Amino acid sequence: MPSLVEFLQSIVNGVGVGLIYGLVGIGFCVIYNASGIVNFAQGVFVMLGGMVCETLLSQLGIPLIVAVVLTIPLVAISGIVMELAIVRPMMHRGATLFAIILATLAAQIMIERITLLTFGDRPRTYHEFTTGGPLKIGDVAIGYQLFWILGCGALLVLLLWLFFTRTRTGRALRACSQNREAAQLLGIPVARMMLIAFALSAALGAIAGILVTPTQYTAYNVGTPFGVNGFIAAIIGGFGRAGGALAGGLLLGVLQALAIVALGAGFKNVAALSFLLVVLLFFPNGLFAGFGKSAKAH
Amino acid sequence: MNVRYWLLALATCTALAGSAQAEDTFKIGSSVGLTGYAAVIDRAWRDGLAVAADALNEKGGILGKKIEVITEDNKSQPQDAVVGYRKMISSDQVSLFDSGCVSAGNFAAAAFVMQAKLPMYLCSILPQRDKEQEWAFSFLAPPKFEIEARYRYIKEKTDIRKVGILYDPTPYALMMKGLGEQLAKDFGLEVVAQETYKPDDADMTVQLGRINAAGGGAVIKIGQGGSTVTAAKNIKQLGLDKMLLLSSNDDGSIFQQAGQVLGDRFFFVAPPVQLPKQLKPGPAKDAVDAFLKYWKPKYPDRDPANSARAWDSMMVLAKAAEIAKSTDGTALRDATQKVPSYVGAYATFNFSEKQHVGITENPFLIGKFATGELVVAE
Repeated sequence: MPSLVEFLQSIVNGVGVGLIYGLVGIGFCVIYNASGIVNFAQGVFVMLGGMVCETLLSQLGIPLIVAVVLTIPLVAISGIVMELAIVRPMMHRGATLFAIILATLAAQIMIERITLLTFGDRPRTYHEFTTGGPLKIGDVAIGYQLFWILGCGALLVLLLWLFFTRTRTGRALRACSQNREAAQLLGIPVARMMLIAFALSAALGAIAGILVTPTQYTAYNVGTPFGVNGFIAAIIGGFGRAGGALAGGLLLGVLQALAIVALGAGFKNVAALSFLLVVLLFFPNGLFAGFGKSAKAH
Repeated sequence: MNVRYWLLALATCTALAGSAQAEDTFKIGSSVGLTGYAAVIDRAWRDGLAVAADALNEKGGILGKKIEVITEDNKSQPQDAVVGYRKMISSDQVSLFDSGCVSAGNFAAAAFVMQAKLPMYLCSILPQRDKEQEWAFSFLAPPKFEIEARYRYIKEKTDIRKVGILYDPTPYALMMKGLGEQLAKDFGLEVVAQETYKPDDADMTVQLGRINAAGGGAVIKIGQGGSTVTAAKNIKQLGLDKMLLLSSNDDGSIFQQAGQVLGDRFFFVAPPVQLPKQLKPGPAKDAVDAFLKYWKPKYPDRDPANSARAWDSMMVLAKAAEIAKSTDGTALRDATQKVPSYVGAYATFNFSEKQHVGITENPFLIGKFATGELVVAE
């Protein structure tokens, strides 16, 4: 029988990982709302965030804060390139959403291969932002990086809320999410909104990657699990709802951690996917869209 | 008419030239996982073969024939391995296979490779059927050697008597885990917890916390890749200031990163070639130097361990060909069994008719990361 300390410790660590899933999930929502596309390359932005930051830190010897400030726009540019080179031309040629979604999957594989050829297959990592620790509360240990993840995650959520509610661009993005054609008729440049959505989504992924890499490692292939878990988080929260995705990520992270304690690591994903099935069965629009409502047609 | 005549002549010349070139070439097939879970090891295996082929070709090749290594990426998947093996047999007409560490892929192909009467030199363990094993030669150290090296170190150098095993769910790791349970008693140790993880897990604090709660003073980690770095970071994040982490053999860059996190509480299993500065003069050092002479100029920053094993396999092959005086598959198989004890860069190999796992003596040292480099843990 697992002890109380084990449960508490797993919840603490689950919150940290879950917040990363949540940020990835928000990235899915931002693009989905602006374009109706599920960007399956979302996970590679997390990978790129860690890889680029590590390269700037370790290979070029740039200070952490400068490396972070440079990494976010660099990865955001990769999102812009994806939109300009893959999504926009396909949309202009009348490709179906399914075809575009498949193209994002192909883009993920392509970016992974380019990263492999450029950076190599060696796993990389860098030091936690604050050395020392952990903070001990009783027998429960909390690493300092977790505070960075929690703090930056909370700040990002606040900034996103301000962006979507207080800025013209944010409101325009929300208008696109509600009805793209109507938004276009009202003079909102939908194409530019999509570009902004891809850049924002990539930047969110990059921040997640920068934050999580000091607690583990990064390599060309770490994006996929983050992408899959971020996708699950977005669905649990109600696809398209940024707050829901964040809550879904936290729930998923804690659930996976508790599943390891209660059932073993082999059942981590079984528990997560079973939970997803239950959510979809009783809450087709996600946990935050109300009980029994049928899926909204997009 | 004139044009047809010239085209026919050209085709005949090309065919004759191709045939002559084929006769002058010794083709070696290699099924390797250049992508997927085995990518790190199998890329090293591929590059080790290439460096060895270059070195042998400089000296005239094998039996006067230029060595050509043909690699097929199996993507670390058995289905792709089967396709690649078939292509190398039928299209490339290789004389022998020297393949990477995707054991499932090598197993899947073993039956028809045996029917083609071609020997398989393998980075992985041997196929499971006896008949197939007659054609296969493993250059992998028996898994118990890695476990024994770590247990011996804990017994002789520490006061720790309770350990936990942290393993991934691959068949090879499961086999090692089983050995870990069996061998603990021989070293006066007790395995108090066995925890599993997945190679892409972002967090292992739960498993490590459980090993600590069960009284484990050291973690025997079975499995490769970046997860070792994650485990080291998680030990630090949990504030387990006395817990040791002893990793499986892996790429040196992994050891370096985990060592930077845990300092003198991180240890790893390493063949001598990974710790070359510590070697004493003798045949083993000569073999390591011979390999590094070709390896270092080409790959100055890369870990040499798995490539050294591939190098050794090619050198054993060269010796077998000398004995066989032929590149026929059956002759090479029989001759490999007669190659006398070979001191290689990775280990000493002792093949015989009944011994197709070449490494019979434990080559492993225990290493640590200190003063910016990998050194033997005294």
